[in-house]
Amino acid sequence: MTLFFILPVIIVAAYSFGVLKLFPTGTSSAFYDWKRLLTGQSIYLGLFWKSMRVSLIVSVTCVVLAYPVAYFLALGAKKRKYVLLLVIIAPFLTSYLLRVLAWKVILGDAGVINSFLFWTGLRAAEDPIQWLIYSQFTVMLVLAYVWIPFVALPIFVTLENLDHSLLEAAADLGASRWRTYLRVTLPLSLSGVLAAFVFVFIPTLGEFVTPLLVGGTRGYLYGNAISDLFTQGLDWQAGSVLSLFLLAVVAVLMAVFARFLQVRSVSA
Amino acid sequence: MTSDVANSRLALIGLRLFYALLVVFLYAPILLLAIFSFNDNPTPAFPLDGLTFRWYQQFLSNQQLIGALRNSMVVATISSVIAVALGLAASFLLVRRRFVGKSAVSALVLSPLVIPYLVFGIALLILFSALDKFLTNTLGVYIGLGLHAVVVGHVVVSLPYTILTIVPRLERMSISLEEAARDLGAGPAETFRRVTLPLLVPSIVSSFLVAFTLSFDEFAIASFLTTRSLTWPVYLFAQLRFPVLLPQLIAVSVIVMALSIAVVVAAEVFRRQAERHLDFAPPA
Repeated sequence: MTLFFILPVIIVAAYSFGVLKLFPTGTSSAFYDWKRLLTGQSIYLGLFWKSMRVSLIVSVTCVVLAYPVAYFLALGAKKRKYVLLLVIIAPFLTSYLLRVLAWKVILGDAGVINSFLFWTGLRAAEDPIQWLIYSQFTVMLVLAYVWIPFVALPIFVTLENLDHSLLEAAADLGASRWRTYLRVTLPLSLSGVLAAFVFVFIPTLGEFVTPLLVGGTRGYLYGNAISDLFTQGLDWQAGSVLSLFLLAVVAVLMAVFARFLQVRSVSA
Repeated sequence: MTSDVANSRLALIGLRLFYALLVVFLYAPILLLAIFSFNDNPTPAFPLDGLTFRWYQQFLSNQQLIGALRNSMVVATISSVIAVALGLAASFLLVRRRFVGKSAVSALVLSPLVIPYLVFGIALLILFSALDKFLTNTLGVYIGLGLHAVVVGHVVVSLPYTILTIVPRLERMSISLEEAARDLGAGPAETFRRVTLPLLVPSIVSSFLVAFTLSFDEFAIASFLTTRSLTWPVYLFAQLRFPVLLPQLIAVSVIVMALSIAVVVAAEVFRRQAERHLDFAPPA
């Protein structure tokens, strides 16, 4: 674990400061790329904020859509709630690429939606709805689609483990159903909501596959920049700087949210 | 009787409706893809042109595609066997032993859960490249990137999932069963083999399946580490640029998807039955 997890990360760090070098390309000074990134001299900082915004919108959307479902399953549904939950989660366990591909097929200029509109004569064949694909909207739609099943799980678990006597107590004390929900259920479910949020936010922050497939140039994100520096630009040093910066941001986020995440309980 | 909004009839109708809509949203794209895999037209677009099985026949004779599928099977099998073995060891360590720095170790083994796979793939790319440079300079040996590197990457990222599956089971399992076996004269190895391991089988099976599906579908890490032999997702991604192959790829994907859903559901059913069985066992 140390050999194949910690060591690689250290090596990225070493590379980002120019300590390690495998190719003659890239800059020589140790802090050159760091300075360019952090002072905003390169496009990367701007891209990073764009990625932050996209991830934020995606995670909030996922949570907002998954919450009612998790809530329904945990408190509303009776016997078959685990089956119904599995129905929601199952897509997450199928091919990620394929689910993205499905949207590419649906949203393309000659894709399912547009061809359907041409076919039914609702729209002229020369004039497809263009914003459907290769836009930031597409990237966000597809990412939200991909992550919703995963988000439902932590929220469900929190609501499921809720102490039901608290709800009864609230009712006995004369609280209406809505008031019980707002004052008891909702606050108690927030830890699950936060965990769900973080578990979507972090992976989408480093996302590069979805933008590559459905994002076009307008959907180009920070993750694509990293990937391109390694596979096309061959400026591994700049790429390492960007990777390490991303990792640092993730680490900070984790430190802030750590107490809401249930992974901790394993060591208890 | 609890009294939350969920218990009001009107809210329940609304929530049911919302659930149904979300299920439609989640499954409609997948179903559309499945429909087009039987459509007699290489471009997936309306109107439909009639039923065909030729995409399914074509992929069966596409050697490259079959090769990529085989590679993924091999990588997924090896990496999940290793991940389960390591996960089992780590779970025992975390549940049954007390030692200094336990929470640090637990944080370390679980941290791959939150590392962006992009960054981890790149980190392994640099590691293996540096290792290679070192080996060629000193010993003249060249290993290179490839499927073995992908296996390493997949073991690391699936390890936390195996641990998270095994640990809860181990925690609920009464240690007195093992103590009883020891009292009755079984050695440590026999106790493990005949008592501990059988009790853990459900969680071992499900952790294997989780690790397997994760590896089989993993693209980001594999894309940086494969060279000539591609795994299935990497192959799929590379071929998406060629529209001619699209229907074949969709056909294979539909099969893979159907299989993985079947496996997941079967595993879940199996796990629940095994759990129920164990829960009725008299407390030792």
